[in-house]
Amino acid sequence: MAKAFNVDVVSPEATVWSGEATFVVARTTEGEIGIMADHEPVMAALATGAVKIESDSEKVTIGVHGGFLQILNNQVTLLTDRAELSTGDADDARKIAEGLRELEEGAE
Amino acid sequence: MKITRAMELIAASRIPKATARVSASKPYSAKLVEVIRNVSAASGGASHMLLERREVKNAGVLIVASDRGLAGAYASSIIREAERHIIAVEKSGTPARLFVVGKKAQSYFHYRKYHIERAFLGVTDTPGYGDARAIANILMDAYASNTVDSVDTFYTQYKSPMTQVPLQFQLLPIVAPEGAEGSEPLASVDYSYEPSPTAILDRLLPRYVESTVFSMLLEASASEHSARRRAMKAATENADELIRILTRIANRARQAEITTEISEIVGGAEALSQQT
Repeated sequence: MAKAFNVDVVSPEATVWSGEATFVVARTTEGEIGIMADHEPVMAALATGAVKIESDSEKVTIGVHGGFLQILNNQVTLLTDRAELSTGDADDARKIAEGLRELEEGAE
Repeated sequence: MKITRAMELIAASRIPKATARVSASKPYSAKLVEVIRNVSAASGGASHMLLERREVKNAGVLIVASDRGLAGAYASSIIREAERHIIAVEKSGTPARLFVVGKKAQSYFHYRKYHIERAFLGVTDTPGYGDARAIANILMDAYASNTVDSVDTFYTQYKSPMTQVPLQFQLLPIVAPEGAEGSEPLASVDYSYEPSPTAILDRLLPRYVESTVFSMLLEASASEHSARRRAMKAATENADELIRILTRIANRARQAEITTEISEIVGGAEALSQQT
């Protein structure tokens, strides 16, 4: 069993997901980042894409558009501009993320 | 009376939704403040356009009031607060530029010949993050283009169903946000940044302004609904009271009429019986 750490995914309007995880994959503007416990402190800007969160009991994918990723003392915080839980796999989450981006561009 | 009662119920039903949205937005803004503090501590007090204080030649004022009336003193108290500030600012020789949210504020300041830079209508009932972003962007653009050199905002803070307080808050330049009480001063963290600290700060600060505007709109909306509920409750009670009094007067008038009629009939009958 891998060591677990805390993950919070929040958007301006709600807390999208919060709980313990053992492995997280996110897309930053610089590329994909995989996070396990005891990761060094990171401050990164998030890109549009899928975020995968894995724990011993479940796997969640979240479509995310923009925002920030902070890793500090085994606390991972994703401050997203928009985020939506996906019921399917990573591809589905990516679609959601693209949808969120279009939504945003349409709004401006 | 039915109308005021209905409006009371509608407003009452919207309060929980509005307050739920206020609390749902709290984690984001709290985290954002935390992140900003961490980054600015780590980057050794990096400077940014939105943080820099400069001489105020044009004072921006954002007023969050309501679109609709029938909410008691809700709109007028925040407008009064804002106008006092505007008068004080203009007295010191600085022109004030107004950004108003809500029809009530727009018509008030328009009528008094204030110059309104921008008016945002139709957002106070259920403000979305997109609305907040649009307002924040316009304010930041105005700030970046030197149209205004500061932005003060006036909104109503939702304390409890019975108390809402008109508040003044300096939005721009950003006052370094303070951490939650009891949080120890942060040791500077050695983040590895992706991309660079300044790029991160460039993105963070606008988000902060947006989320601040958003929480203001939400607070104001919750305040508006509970102010309206209270006003409509009072109106319903007044109407009830009025109906009671009027019913009593009407009853008395009718009784008096009946009494007169009876005595006329009795009098008439008596007169007839005396004739025969």
